[in-house]
Amino acid sequence: MSCGCGDCEKMMQPYLDGVLSDEQVREAQAHLADCPGCEKRYRFEVSLRRFVRVAVYEEMAPELKVKLSSLRAPG
Amino acid sequence: MSESAPTSAETRRLAEVARDRVRFEEEALELSDQVYRVARRLVGSREEAEDLMQEAYARAFRSWQQYQPGTNLRAWLLRILTNLNIDRGRRAQRTPDMQPLEEGDYFLYNKLESTLGDENPDEDRVIERLSQNSVVEALAEVPHDFRDVLVLVDLGEFSYAEAAQILDIPVGTVMSRLHRGRRALKQNLAEKAVI
Repeated sequence: MSCGCGDCEKMMQPYLDGVLSDEQVREAQAHLADCPGCEKRYRFEVSLRRFVRVAVYEEMAPELKVKLSSLRAPG
Repeated sequence: MSESAPTSAETRRLAEVARDRVRFEEEALELSDQVYRVARRLVGSREEAEDLMQEAYARAFRSWQQYQPGTNLRAWLLRILTNLNIDRGRRAQRTPDMQPLEEGDYFLYNKLESTLGDENPDEDRVIERLSQNSVVEALAEVPHDFRDVLVLVDLGEFSYAEAAQILDIPVGTVMSRLHRGRRALKQNLAEKAVI
């Protein structure tokens, strides 16, 4: 179950994005230290972002790199 | 001023321009892996991404003098690329009506946790409910407008302001689309979770 603190839930994404003010960051950190429910969800969000980034990664084909290079202006 | 002076100045200038152009091209090519990483998820297939990359790089190499040295070249390249992507008429098909989004941000976690039947699971075990393929599909199903922002910020690691500049939309719009995009992604993930 979530801790039911809606404010914390709203702050989660901005906190992860690093766009909160210093004061808000201190508030968020204090809350996370105090609330195991939100702390767990915070760790989940961090893992989820990493998981998504890795899961959707597809390396560029070497042939494409060669093609891009060949598009340079001649001379 | 002698007659020959402008000629040698002109020669020097041309040599400088040529050098700047080569430097630009090299820097742009060095960034191609990172640009591709974003491009690949802006469109549905590898082929589309490769076409888009070639169009974007061809245009970038033609209009390289419009790039202001010292500014973010990766953002500049992606601005060209996203514009081309939009020009392709992709937007002719309007963003489909979305299902109503789940209200809370904790929705996905709560849903996954509830499938584990474990009181206090480790977050990695919760993540394991998701498969790599399901993430790729879930992202592809996020409506275009939201996905563009989501891909730029969460995969491309651009700031809100940079994403706003790339897509030529206000920062507030970036924030609301990002919010909705992330919610949509989570909703799609919840539907595809291994239960």
